[in-house]
Amino acid sequence: MSQRLTGGMAWLLYPVTAAAMLFVLAPLAVVMAMSVSTSAFATFPPRGFTLSWYAGVLADPDFLASLWFSTALAAAATAGALLLGVPAAFALARHAPPGAQGLRLVLLSPLIFPVLVVGVALLRLFSDWNWSYAPVNLFIGHVLVTTPYVVRTVTASLLLADTTLEDAARTLGAGRWRVFRRVTLPQIAPGAAAGTLFAFMVSFDNYPISMWLADARNVPVPMLIYRQIASVFTPAVPAASTLLIVFAFAVVLIMERLAGLRRAMAL
Amino acid sequence: MTATTADATTFRPPRTGSIQRPSARVLMGLALGLPVAVFLAAFLFVPAFSLTIDGFLTQDQQGHLRAPVTLAHYAHFFGTALYSHVLFVTLRVSLLTALFAAVLGYPVALVMVRSHPAAARAVAFITIAPLVVSVVVRTYGWQLILANGPTGLLNWVLLSAGLIDTPLRLLYSETAVVIGSLHVFLPMMVLPLASALAKIDPHLEEAASTLGMPAWRVFTRVTLPLSLTGLAAGFTLVFSLTAGSFVTPAILGGTNAQTLGVLIDQQITAVYDWPFGATIATVLVVIVVGVNLLSMRLLGEGRRFGMAA
Repeated sequence: MSQRLTGGMAWLLYPVTAAAMLFVLAPLAVVMAMSVSTSAFATFPPRGFTLSWYAGVLADPDFLASLWFSTALAAAATAGALLLGVPAAFALARHAPPGAQGLRLVLLSPLIFPVLVVGVALLRLFSDWNWSYAPVNLFIGHVLVTTPYVVRTVTASLLLADTTLEDAARTLGAGRWRVFRRVTLPQIAPGAAAGTLFAFMVSFDNYPISMWLADARNVPVPMLIYRQIASVFTPAVPAASTLLIVFAFAVVLIMERLAGLRRAMAL
Repeated sequence: MTATTADATTFRPPRTGSIQRPSARVLMGLALGLPVAVFLAAFLFVPAFSLTIDGFLTQDQQGHLRAPVTLAHYAHFFGTALYSHVLFVTLRVSLLTALFAAVLGYPVALVMVRSHPAAARAVAFITIAPLVVSVVVRTYGWQLILANGPTGLLNWVLLSAGLIDTPLRLLYSETAVVIGSLHVFLPMMVLPLASALAKIDPHLEEAASTLGMPAWRVFTRVTLPLSLTGLAAGFTLVFSLTAGSFVTPAILGGTNAQTLGVLIDQQITAVYDWPFGATIATVLVVIVVGVNLLSMRLLGEGRRFGMAA
């Protein structure tokens, strides 16, 4: 389709891109290298090789509790985001209500609105209402930040889907629900699934909402790691971080397989 | 449309008369969009509005907010050298991060859309995958790299190579915050740029080079102007996200490079000055929304200009 890079442009662009990729991977590689060091201090070069920090992390009840809590929270938030976001995406892509452009802007506003301030505002609301049950408060906050991603990817997938197939199915007598299930859904499924996975990770990784709404008994993983970073160094932190990196890369591989990464991101 | 009519009549013959069809479609759209609109109103817009109001109220001894309405918190914020400095640092860090992201992200975006498919996929994967790793973990990696003293990775490398004699003091500085933010938000520059570049009609560039333009002029006269929308979108995203971030400046900036996000946390969780925290949050939102409105306006102008030309 597009022109390939050739000549002088290629000589300039490939080395810069390679350097950028090195920059992107460096901090992750460093964390992974430290996680197998036998030294109990953050010193370079790492010494020896051990997997004992991993054994320690996987036996740590605090880490396991956080892992379970974050997974459940992200799953619930993603489900909530799908319930709110998929109908909204249909409204935007298929029904064009008056002021659709305004609605799109409003729906995507949590993307540019500073997440930290969203957290502060929610904290104020919940303390006004005396809502002190952290899991529900966190759930609401996480639905707020994940919904825009669902809306964006599902809308993009719907706009790519062939509407004449839907019209044909209706003409042939299929009902609304059947058209959705048998014609629309199979077309948008890969893109929507990849977007859903991304929304899951947005919740799983979130810190700036959780920092306001979590309590001592419900600590999402990023908060646990942040607290450990702030206190003394132990190689348990790189080990836990490496597990998160591996998990994240596995999810991205699935997203790539499902829909291609740029489509999954809808950016 | 005909299919919709047939379908609607089968299920609800008496109510949906043929005159009401188009509005039924619109009503359906409104009904689908309503839940999310209500949710956003209740949990984002109303609380954000209340927070703004709090910045104009007075906090009494028991911590309750009440009248009199006052501009004292804004006067305090803009009148204290320490706080204006934090505002200035936030703007400078965000601007530098967005600039570096554009410079570093442009070649990456070009390679992503124009190289061999396998290379393009690898670049897309490496660019996007870290986006899904928690900011806490990524910032932690930078803390290890930039650590002050001879055992930080960068210092160790530079000392071993004989490039420096005494370890650099990089951690807890604005430089460290810019490096960390650049890493965290680079994909937000690359992705909009890549989609803008992918939309450029290759024939335009072919025509320019066939007519004898050297490659660098094809780039400055054709490719770059046509990718400005992506560049502006990426710039706005990176600037807004950096200005509103917390984790990266908190871990890498320390007390030397405080930003508005860190200050909000400090005022609310350590000082317990809720109205002042609300004031800083409002200033942050005004900056971010202002930059976005400006960018949308510029992009709108650009589009109109493009259509006229």
